[in-house]
Amino acid sequence: MKKLQILGPGCPKCRALAANTEAAAKALGLEYELVKVTDITEMMKFGVMMTPCLAVDGVVKSAGKVLSPDEIKKLIQ
Amino acid sequence: MAGQTSCCCSGTKSKNVLLYACSGGANVAEMSDRAARQLMREKAGMMFCLAGLGADLPNMIQQAKDADLNLVIDGCPIDCARKIFERHGLKNVQYVRVTDLGIEKKKGVPVAEADVAKVVARCKQVLCTT
Repeated sequence: MKKLQILGPGCPKCRALAANTEAAAKALGLEYELVKVTDITEMMKFGVMMTPCLAVDGVVKSAGKVLSPDEIKKLIQ
Repeated sequence: MAGQTSCCCSGTKSKNVLLYACSGGANVAEMSDRAARQLMREKAGMMFCLAGLGADLPNMIQQAKDADLNLVIDGCPIDCARKIFERHGLKNVQYVRVTDLGIEKKKGVPVAEADVAKVVARCKQVLCTT
């Protein structure tokens, strides 16, 4: 199972990235767990300076952008 | 690394700019660091960890790739920071070198505020024209 992590304080762009990530994962038929990381201390452990971020199994794939579902598909499959 | 995360979610920032300072021991490194911190305080960008890129940490490399601009302040013509960015093949980068501003590299001397101001001014010029 893939762990899809959305890093950000929970504002509209973070929520949009989470929704797009979920849509991409469902479209691909992935087995996944979506986790929202909103705690600043937890985010810092990823070495993150720009949010929203998408991480897959702990590896940051995108930072500071709201990607579309199609863009996300390429990063998570 | 600074204990603050820059969020683009508010929509108030047009660009994600990451700032990197020389990490050497000479006066030009101190100027580079102080200039980067001043730029960060003025919200021109966020300081980021040059050592993290030098250590090939994937999460940090990804963020440098995704930034709109990486502004790299090298102290002297050895260009350590530039070489790290070139090694990673990053193209979204602008470089400033402190010794190009007529400042001599020395060790164990205090840094003049006027020289830090020169570095800050040069960085702002680069940021405004990029």
